[in-house]
Amino acid sequence: MTRFLASRLLQALAVLLLMSFVITVLMTLMPGDPVDMMLAGNPRATPADAARLKALYGLDKPLLERYWHWLQAALAGDFGFSRLYAQPVLTILLPRLGNTLLLLGAAMALTLAVALPLGVYAARRPYGWADNAINLFCFAGISVPAFWLALLLILLFAVELQWLPASGLGPVGGEGWWQRLPYLVLPVASLTLASIGGYTRYVRAAMMGELRQDYIRTARAKGLGEGRVVWRHALRNATIPVVTIVALEFGALFSGALVTETMFAWPGMGKLIYDSIMGNDLNVALVALLFATLTTLAGNLLADAAYAGLDPRISFKGDGA
Amino acid sequence: MRAGRFLRRFARHRLAAASALLLLVLAVAAAAAPWVESWLGVEATGISLLDRFGPPSALHPLGTDELGRDVLVRLLYGGRVSLFVGVAAALASAVIGTGIGLLAGYFGGRLDDLLMRVTDGLIALPLLPLLIVLGAIDLTRLGIPPEVAGAEDASLLRIVVLVALFGWTTVARLVRGATLSARRRDYVRAAVAMGADSRRIMLAHILPNVAAPAVVATTLTVGNVILLESVLSFLGLGIQPPLPSWGNMLTNAQELVGTAPLLAVWPGLLIFLTVIAVNLLGDGLQDALDPRVVGKR
Amino acid sequence: MRTGIAALALAAALMGTPAFAAKDELVIGMTQFPSNWHPSMEAMMAKSYVLSMARRPFTAYDPDWRLTCLLCTELPALDKGTAEYETRPDGKQGIKVTYTINSKATWGDGTPVTTQDVLFTWTVGKHPQSGYANFDLFARDIVAIDVKDERTFTIHRDKPVCSYAEINDFEILPAHLERPVFEADPATYRNRSKYETDTTNPGLWFGPYRIAQVEPGSHVVLEPNPTWWGAKPAFKRVVVKAIENTAALEANLLAGQVDMVPGETGLPLDQVLAFEKRHGSRYNVFYKPGLFFEHVELNLDNPALADVRVRRALLHAIDREAVSKQLYDGRQPVAHNEISPLDRVHAPGYPTYPFDPALAGRLLDEAGWSERRAGVRHNAKGERLALEIMTTAGNRSREVLQQVLQAQWRQAGIEVRIVNEPARVLFGDTLEKRRFKSMALFAWISAPENIPRTILHSSMIPTEANNWAGQNYTGYRNPEMDRVLEDLEHVCAPEANRALWAKLQTLYAQDLPNLPLFFRADPFILPTWLDGVVPTGHLDSSTLWIETWKAKE
Repeated sequence: MTRFLASRLLQALAVLLLMSFVITVLMTLMPGDPVDMMLAGNPRATPADAARLKALYGLDKPLLERYWHWLQAALAGDFGFSRLYAQPVLTILLPRLGNTLLLLGAAMALTLAVALPLGVYAARRPYGWADNAINLFCFAGISVPAFWLALLLILLFAVELQWLPASGLGPVGGEGWWQRLPYLVLPVASLTLASIGGYTRYVRAAMMGELRQDYIRTARAKGLGEGRVVWRHALRNATIPVVTIVALEFGALFSGALVTETMFAWPGMGKLIYDSIMGNDLNVALVALLFATLTTLAGNLLADAAYAGLDPRISFKGDGA
Repeated sequence: MRAGRFLRRFARHRLAAASALLLLVLAVAAAAAPWVESWLGVEATGISLLDRFGPPSALHPLGTDELGRDVLVRLLYGGRVSLFVGVAAALASAVIGTGIGLLAGYFGGRLDDLLMRVTDGLIALPLLPLLIVLGAIDLTRLGIPPEVAGAEDASLLRIVVLVALFGWTTVARLVRGATLSARRRDYVRAAVAMGADSRRIMLAHILPNVAAPAVVATTLTVGNVILLESVLSFLGLGIQPPLPSWGNMLTNAQELVGTAPLLAVWPGLLIFLTVIAVNLLGDGLQDALDPRVVGKR
Repeated sequence: MRTGIAALALAAALMGTPAFAAKDELVIGMTQFPSNWHPSMEAMMAKSYVLSMARRPFTAYDPDWRLTCLLCTELPALDKGTAEYETRPDGKQGIKVTYTINSKATWGDGTPVTTQDVLFTWTVGKHPQSGYANFDLFARDIVAIDVKDERTFTIHRDKPVCSYAEINDFEILPAHLERPVFEADPATYRNRSKYETDTTNPGLWFGPYRIAQVEPGSHVVLEPNPTWWGAKPAFKRVVVKAIENTAALEANLLAGQVDMVPGETGLPLDQVLAFEKRHGSRYNVFYKPGLFFEHVELNLDNPALADVRVRRALLHAIDREAVSKQLYDGRQPVAHNEISPLDRVHAPGYPTYPFDPALAGRLLDEAGWSERRAGVRHNAKGERLALEIMTTAGNRSREVLQQVLQAQWRQAGIEVRIVNEPARVLFGDTLEKRRFKSMALFAWISAPENIPRTILHSSMIPTEANNWAGQNYTGYRNPEMDRVLEDLEHVCAPEANRALWAKLQTLYAQDLPNLPLFFRADPFILPTWLDGVVPTGHLDSSTLWIETWKAKE
């Protein structure tokens, strides 16, 4: 186990190192260097100005040297300053990370809270009308373009009914966390509607698998109540693959909530990554993307660990396909 | 021998059957776009500033858009683009994924380790941001001739290539797993023992066995790519005008949603229907081909 | 699903009474959020919009496009003796200009604004490592600054320019707060400035409002500044929210979470036109055409475009009046020249190019593009008249205009392909390095009476050799134009100066280095209860006069 963990950690480090280099190269391949962009709005800038600013930002040095400098500083805990925001990278990053975690955490919790009972219910009477209805609902959620759903929700609940705020992090000057709740509802709802389908179907499939197992038959034969069989025994085992999926998907969600964040003016990681790429803010883009990669890797590791921890039948030897 | 069972199982999925029919209709309609265009006597690119936001009429069954163009014809042409992007990207990633999965599963050992590490690595990448970076890269700096990089449908090819580059991992994993189990079958072992050529074994004996999961995964990918195209359009990185796609038509319509809500409803509805149909079809296929496989969207 | 409904009910209960009843608060919605706060580091419309509420430049153009004093007491002038030509020690001609800071000007922490701040600002601005965007104003245009007393100082300029009184970009810094930061390490000053690290420090601001709270990427809160010397601002709180998606911004307006959307960085014109039709009665909607010059930049290195007849034909072939009428409800006037008709220096009488397909056809025939094959014109060598038009991908208004142009040119037998790029690629590289093949659609933004030297002078063509400096992306060269541009800077006698402006506009219209399309109109959506907002139509934003904004009784 320890050896497995150590090797996975080493792998993760290697991936991160490789990623940081690849991102640096890719960002350099994107046209327009930051100084050119800064000067684009200034008609009186001269070549000397450009050269001066490039030297100031270290852009006059070759790519490898720049990368090496960044790496050395980063390893010492200094991620440099954002070009766009003129602030230390972490000062920019951490509040947005907090916003994203709040949004995604809430969405994930709600998704599971709905998907688990829905999936279990569908699995108990497969191919019945309820299962079909749930199935259709699931696919509907997956199939709506995210920004379209977000716009519909805003138009309905904020403009027409005026029940909920259309966007933003919270009321201006509002202190208590509960005041932020109404602002969470629409973005969380749009994320949840999009992800509920996938999870419900995972739960359903896993439950159907479990309900066919011998131990369930034994339990039923012993005269245990159906509710107890389903909710206590089968669901516990069916949770394993679901937990795995949660862990695996969290990383992707983390950087992928861009559309929802944009529509609801919720400054989070997805938007930050997008803005830093489009604004050629290499330092921020690097750290934010590495963070996203790290979350995904951690999710993968966690998924494996959860698998091993929850299911004694799985060992870390063999192919594990 | 299995065809009958397959059809019976598939037919039980009435939704899947209906979806297949719907997709067929959409595909045929999209393919027929030029005929519809000439039959109606309108032009997809025919701009008429005097006919903006026209109501449905005999000439324009679904009305006209913000530049006076026929909405129906544009939807059909947009369908061509969106369906093409979805199918082409899904097929390309299926081919790559099947190839890699077969090699890894069949030969095993070091090759398997290497390929699966690459797959893990790719899965660990944050997909959307990477697509944004790659979507903005200057292709000419990669040595691609400007004629190709600047072509009108370059935005289309770019999406297909990018999805293919990153989207093959699911198929590869599924195919590898299926290959591993197929290898243990007696007839494959027999073929190996008789000294048959590896390529022949893979193509003739293993491929048919791994086709099922690959087909299901590919079907689902089609839907995801169509959705992805709409997201990229939302970000201004999708299919570029004047080429219509459902994604860019939907994006363009959102600002005018108060004045001309139908302009947003049609492409939105088509994306929704297509993706849901593709997903239901994949679901049906999966149940029909192998009811034991755990659902994967 | 039951959970979802319960959550909605809970949320509705928590919302309580809606917040938009209070008229002592103004909520402004914009599509951009200022990424940083230092007044001189990077020019950005959203930033200058917010900063103009909390600080003032010495001089600015007012809504009537006249230069005016905001921080100083009176504009310097030759006839008042506050401006005077001089011969500098090195023998060159220059001019010295004297300003007096308003005697009541005080930083928000009570420290008076003095000439010490002026000197400090100059020191920072001309320091090569400080990273100032308008470095040349401080390092080249200003040769020396003499301080007379606490409030009065004299600037010595390197050239006897006609616009000597204008120092709009001289954004004064509080020496008492910023000096220690700057002196510790000028090279990293940009990142350590109190404007970035301590944005809500009252001492950084001296406008009617000061920045009281910043929620990065989301909103800024401004509160009245007690040390402000002018008219008392009317609102207890001004909130500026950033909602980037324009459809979502409109929804916020309708939902009452945003009171107004300013023209400076708000919604696109066509969206507002549609909005006005449906909700015009509930809002005060108006449009201000200004100095945003929407045009098609041409690359004159393209053999077809090098011929002035082709350029004229391109303009004759498009019906700008119809586009203005149909797409913009006539709110966005057609541009016939680089200089706006609203500008004091505009001199009518230059040739214009109205929609005339027949004339366009004749011009193209003359230029050798006479043979039409499958609708597309060819020349004797068998080459197609095929061009490319680029713009920023995702800018819907421009994409729409672009498709109209494409269709109208197709009628004239000119094949035009649309090739769009993200803004950072188009402006960061393609235009700057003149990599665009034939045409690019975008806007120039300028101040009133701005001499278009950087876009029309032949020394301003970006090349590898000059490190891609200048904005003459067109590659336009005309010695006569060069001379006019140079003379305009120092020939100030009213008659002669006016003649030069007229000459410039005539030369431009004759040579047509690019295709003028429209002067962009900024749409403002205000609540009916708000009074006093006067749009400017140029770079100085309407918030420079925010103290006059108030709620109607």
